This record gives sequence, C-alpha cells and structure tokens, in this order.
Amino acid sequence: MALEDVVRSNASGRLMVLAVAAVPLLFVVSGLAIRYAAFASVSEEPGFAAYARALCRWDCAWYIGISEQGYERFPIPNHSNVGRWGFFPLYPMLVAAIRVVFPFQTILVATITSIVCSYAACLVAWPLLDKNMRAYVLYCAFLLSGPFSFHFTTFLTEPLFVLLTSCVFLALKRSSYLAAGVSSALLSATRLVGVFVVFATVIQMFREHRQQGGSALSFPRWVLGRPDLLVAIFISPAGLFAYILFLYLTVGDGLAFLHIQRAFGRVAGNPLVFLWDGLSAVPTTGWLPTAPQWSALAAIAGLALSAVLAARRQYGAALFCALCIILPLITNLASMVRYVIGLAPLTMMLAVLLSVSKLSWLAALVLFLGACYFMTVAWIGGYLALV
Amino acid sequence: MPWSEFPAPYRRAASLGGYALAAVLAGSELIILALALNPNVNADYRAYYIDRTTTCLNRDAVGSYTLGQTVSFRNDGAKQAASIKVCGWSGPAGDGTHSLGETSRLRVKIPPLRNGLTATLQMAAVIRPPQITQRVVISVNGVRAHAVTLSGKEPRMVSFVIPPAALAEADTLEIAFDYLDGIPPTPAASNIYKRSIKLVSFRLDAIETD
Repeated sequence: MALEDVVRSNASGRLMVLAVAAVPLLFVVSGLAIRYAAFASVSEEPGFAAYARALCRWDCAWYIGISEQGYERFPIPNHSNVGRWGFFPLYPMLVAAIRVVFPFQTILVATITSIVCSYAACLVAWPLLDKNMRAYVLYCAFLLSGPFSFHFTTFLTEPLFVLLTSCVFLALKRSSYLAAGVSSALLSATRLVGVFVVFATVIQMFREHRQQGGSALSFPRWVLGRPDLLVAIFISPAGLFAYILFLYLTVGDGLAFLHIQRAFGRVAGNPLVFLWDGLSAVPTTGWLPTAPQWSALAAIAGLALSAVLAARRQYGAALFCALCIILPLITNLASMVRYVIGLAPLTMMLAVLLSVSKLSWLAALVLFLGACYFMTVAWIGGYLALV
Repeated sequence: MPWSEFPAPYRRAASLGGYALAAVLAGSELIILALALNPNVNADYRAYYIDRTTTCLNRDAVGSYTLGQTVSFRNDGAKQAASIKVCGWSGPAGDGTHSLGETSRLRVKIPPLRNGLTATLQMAAVIRPPQITQRVVISVNGVRAHAVTLSGKEPRMVSFVIPPAALAEADTLEIAFDYLDGIPPTPAASNIYKRSIKLVSFRLDAIETD
C-alpha cells in the first residue's frame, strides 16, 4: 500500500513537473503565433527575421547598437548629444556573447534569448506563486502571450529584468542571501532601478531576525555578526558600480547614465504633477484614453498593486516595486506602462488576484490572448503609451 | 549556505574570508562613488550634461565658407548648412531651420580680412500667443554684435556689422544666438526643446573701403 502511494506520488510529481514546463512552452508557441498574425496583418514581408525586426521598436534599436558596437566615448560621433550611456549593459552584453556562439543577426539572437529568459522567468515564478497552477497559467499567459508580450520577447531589458527579479525573490524566500545578492548584482547591471532590490534583501533579513526572536535594535549587530549577510548586501549593487566605473574610465563621467537624460529631454519634477498632467490629457476625439492617460493609469495601478503587496506583508517586494515606479516618475510618464508590467512581483500578484475565481481567471486568460493581437499591432504601429 | 553550516575547522576561515570580501566590496564601491562624484570631463560636457548651464553642446564643427556666398537653411542648402551648424538647431524644414534650446551657434572658417565684415541673416520668429515676439542677441567670437526683436511669421532680413574686436586676427567666426523668449512645447518640457527662430539664410560680406 505504502509502495503504491510512493509510486502514485512520484507519478503525479513527474506529471506536475511536466505541466510546469509545458504551460509556458504552450504560451511561447501561442504567443509567437498571435504576434506573428498581428505582424502579418500589417506587413507584406514574410518570415521570422522580418517579424523580429518589426517588433524591434523604440529602445530596442539602442540595445542593438550597444550589443554590436558597445558604448561611445565623448564627443559622441555624428555630432549627436544622445549617447547610449543611459542604457544598462548586461542584457546587450549577454546577447553579444551568445552571438559569438550563434553568429546570426543580432535581433534574431536577441528575440530568441528574450523568449528563453521569459520562459525561465515563468519557471522561477512557479514556487513564488506557491505552486498555484491557476495563477501560474495566467502569469505565463501574461508574459508570453499577453497584451504586452512583445516587451518580453524582443530586444528590451524586460525579459532579463523579470527573470533576475524572480531569482532574487526566490532566493530570498529560501533565505539564500548570497544567491539573492549575486542575482541583485546582475539586476543592477540590467536596469538602474534594479539596485533597489537590495532593500528587499535587507527587509527579508530583518524579518528572519525577528522570527528568530531578535529585537529591532539588535538587528545591526546581528547582520554585522554574519559575514554572509554583509557580502550579500554589498554585492547587490556591484553591477551598477561596475557600470559606473566603466563609464568613468571611458567617458570620464561615472554618472553619465544619469546626465545623458538631459539630451533625452527628461526633467525632474513632481511625480504628482506628472500624474495629474497625464490624467488630464483627455482625448480630443473618441473615448479611448490618450497615451499620457494610459501611462498615468499604469503608474497608479502599479502603486496600488504595491500597496496590495504591502497589505499581504510582502514588504520587500512592495517597496522595490514602488521605488521602481516612483524613480522614473520623477522625470515624467515616458515608458511607464513598460516599467510597471516589467515588475514581476506586481504581475504575479495580479495573476494571483485574477485567479481567485474560475470565472475571473478564464475571463483574464481570454482577454490576455485576445489583447495580444491588437496590442502587438499597436506596438508595431508605434503607439506612444507602449514605448 | 550560512556560515554556521561550515564544518568547525573551516568556519573561522570562512568567516574571515567573508568579512574580507565584504570589506573589499564596500571599499571598492566607496572608491567608485568618489570617482563618480568627481567627473573628469571637459568644460563643454560639464556645461551641457552636468551643470546644465547651456542647451547648446559645443562641438568642433567648423564649416568652410566663401565670403559673399548665401547659405540656405532650407532643404536645398542642407548639406552646406549642416557643416556650419555647431549646436542648437534642428534639421532643415521646407522653409528654414528651427532653433532648439536657448542658444544656437554657427561656426565658419574665414580668410584673412583687410577690413570688417557684414553679416546678413534672414530669419523669422516662432510665435505662440501670448508670446508674439522673439528677442535675439547675436554675439560673434564672444563679442556682442547685435540685438534684434523679431515679430510676425514672415522672415525678416537682419544685417549688422561685426565689431572689429570680434575679428582681431580670427580665422574662424563663431556666431552665437541667445534667445530670451524661447517657447517650450509644453510647460513641463525641457529647455533643450525651446523654439525661438527659424533661420532661412546666412551670408557674410567683406566691407569694401577705398
């Protein structure tokens, strides 16, 4: 009897592993099919290469430039004020490294790498979603076949950012602080806001300390007594510091990634004013919200989901996500939709919330798959809210 | 693996190694931060990107130019105009080249001069009520040469004599346009996007004296 139970349990475990691996794979295929159909509806040129090129919009061109030519020194060639320094190096470096082994067009290599990263991000999300199959299916559908799946399957930093964010939080969930630190270091070399994840690490350490019966006051001493925790904290921003050093040695300005924002016309201001300006940009014709309205709504929805995370005692993830929204919001609403949907803890929370009932789960799944087509058409057409 | 799980004989070494690594990381990051706070850049970079005291990033562009020649800043003269535009200009539109930001510069190589020079510029104001005029201060090689207030959308011919002080043994001429009434596209927009004038043509003539 016991042996039968073990066999049955092993078989169901194997089935579960297969399902966990197959679900995102299914959405990789369906996502490719839907986005390709959207591409084919607006383009006369057939083929995967043309599809990959068509989906390479906005910042994608910058990452191709970095991957193929690296960063410029100063003065920037062609009498340009805008350099590539604002775009962080890890993902273009990774694509360049893979291109050495597979010498195809950069955008092809990047597209496949992005799909692999997003697929891997789904697998890492499985334990983070507490093995909730419904939420997992929805999350995979969102990343790989959802309305913003082009962000996760072209040459943008989102696929790697989502993967590394998930790795950090999985490591923290398992109290593997060194693994979290190394993932954080990579995250901080992927996008500037990645450095904020160190706060989630410290919060998790504090939580563990309190669970062990330690007081808040004794926390610093506890951390100082644990060299592994110190290493985890100090290694977290290492990717950012490595990039700062690189910029100092090549451009002479370690903070060039911040200073270059001037050439992109970004001006610091009051985030509340930017939000209000965005919401006030009412459409002149029709009823569909304008691009600034979508961006403002995305920021508000992101902050609201951060509050939900905090309410569910996921303080580290809540703080990380809120900072990742507020920092870019200080300059304006540009790319806000992409920044919000690229925050894995938020989209996981959304998947969990939408999976509460079968009906809402099914409705969300159908909506995700259907919207994928139209949003891809909008992305290829250069719709500003999706930048 | 937490330090406490190391076998006892190695725990002390691992602990010391951990502290050493943490110290190296923290020290390196402090040094890099110090470097970042003390950039090693030239004055043009600093003025545009760091201090934000100018909207016009100076470049080493010097265009060749023959005295008496009219350079068109419409599409038809795009190639020659591009060579003398230093900064603060957009690409040419059908009816001229818009200024961008609060300052624009042109720079040309000039032959040795016996007498002075007259500059003739055809330009129009960018107008958006209530801003219906544009004040422009023109300097040559750092010497204030002319000030003009433009109004109306039609281009106006502006002519002035370049002060001799600006020409003393100069082999290049840098003409800077400072705009006092630039119009930003939106209230929150960066000052690098301000629009003030549309330059249609540019010409330099040697002053003939007998």
